[in-house]
Amino acid sequence: MLDEERVILMTRMAAYERKEGRQNIKIGNYFRSDYIAVQVLKSLFSVTVAFALVAALYVFYHFDTLLQEIYQMDLPAFARKVLTYYVASAVSYGLLTYVVSTYRYAKAKKSLKQYYHNLKKLNAMYEQQG
Amino acid sequence: MTDLLEIREKIKILYSKYEFLILPVVKFVLAFVVLLSLNNRLGYMGQLDNIAVVLITGLMCSFLPSGFIVLFAAVFSLLHMYALSVEAALVGFGVYLVMFLLFFRFGSKDSLVVVLTPLLFAWKIPYVIPIAVGLVCGPVSVVPVGCGVITHYLLKTVADSASAINTLGEEDISAKLRMIIDGLVKNREMVVMIAAFAVTVLTVYLIRRLAVDHAWTIAMAAGALLDVVILLIGDLLYDINISLGGVLLGSLLALAVAKVIEFFRFCVDYSRTERVQFEDDEYYYYVKAVPKMAVAMSTKTVKRINPQRSRGDGGNRVTTERTGGTSGRYGASKTAGRSPYRGGRSVTIGSVSQEDPFEDLSEDDFDDNY
Repeated sequence: MLDEERVILMTRMAAYERKEGRQNIKIGNYFRSDYIAVQVLKSLFSVTVAFALVAALYVFYHFDTLLQEIYQMDLPAFARKVLTYYVASAVSYGLLTYVVSTYRYAKAKKSLKQYYHNLKKLNAMYEQQG
Repeated sequence: MTDLLEIREKIKILYSKYEFLILPVVKFVLAFVVLLSLNNRLGYMGQLDNIAVVLITGLMCSFLPSGFIVLFAAVFSLLHMYALSVEAALVGFGVYLVMFLLFFRFGSKDSLVVVLTPLLFAWKIPYVIPIAVGLVCGPVSVVPVGCGVITHYLLKTVADSASAINTLGEEDISAKLRMIIDGLVKNREMVVMIAAFAVTVLTVYLIRRLAVDHAWTIAMAAGALLDVVILLIGDLLYDINISLGGVLLGSLLALAVAKVIEFFRFCVDYSRTERVQFEDDEYYYYVKAVPKMAVAMSTKTVKRINPQRSRGDGGNRVTTERTGGTSGRYGASKTAGRSPYRGGRSVTIGSVSQEDPFEDLSEDDFDDNY
């Protein structure tokens, strides 16, 4: 026998799972620290690739100058400078990711609260029906 | 105004009824216009600058997720740049990749803004974007707006330096690269635009969320004003030759568009028809859930205030009548008798005769009657 109230509840939950809940449920599967760590790691990868790309464009841009001056250049000092830029970019972008991820995790958890409540309600309905 | 409100309600019903048709058509039109605009601006690859290719791509976009419009626009622009010169394509690819890696991770939800911004720049009405985005989206949308501005200036730099690139020989790789990168990195107009748009988006967003009367109107006016001020300051500081007339006219147009957005802001019904599937131990459920919707089209309360010039006190008669009060309901059956308005919003349409009804009223009469 179909329970109308239960079908309504299940429909609402399924609609949530299909739309805004999809991302939230994914986030909710993580512990807070794990989620933030994964996001920061992804950001570090992104910033590394982006930095390499910008560095490559820089080299192409100054190709003639670099070719002429490469033998007079203080290469360790140049490498230190590049490394400093990389670390500064990575740290600032990592920090930004940390802040955004923390906010997103808190928001997702808040949104999932009602979903979990409905899940418990649904479970109770099934148990009641026997 | 009455007609407009009725039209809005009709659009709302039409949208909920034919959403499965309207959305693909809108996506097709958007993709078609964006790709056509790209072909007009760049158009270096003959094979792509073909209406059939644009139509086919637009049709593909109509049933794919909206992010594909961004992808196809990026591919089209890169191919045009490649046809012009490999160096231009290389810079374009680098810029797109950096934007994708660094910025899209935070603001990928409103990715359509990235293609809409260059489109509106091409139509000379870019000032619509920050106000509209501030009204409709969140603060993170600053990121796609910024990316859209960068994309516009990338396309502009490539288009502007096309003739110079063509005159350079195959071996001048470094010169070609330098020309495009300089056009982008040393472009102060771009920096000023990004700053102005970012501040405008945030201002409009923050003000429209305030719990004050007319927050939306204040937000759009403040946003437009701030946008103009920042652009003018930028013009003074960096001498970037922004046309004052263009900025003012564009901002006025942006205000008009923002007003239209405000008018229709509840028209797009986000709790649309749901088609969901799930199962339990006993059944498979295939459910179509249709949202209930109020139709307040023909509910008009006409208040007639007839000043009576009778011999004695000169009092006024106020009569209220309801004309054709048949507020319908779409897809509803169970809640008859309740308020026809859902979501705490109601529309009361009133009208008075064209003669000045308050002509003979004293201030005391006003207090008594209203």
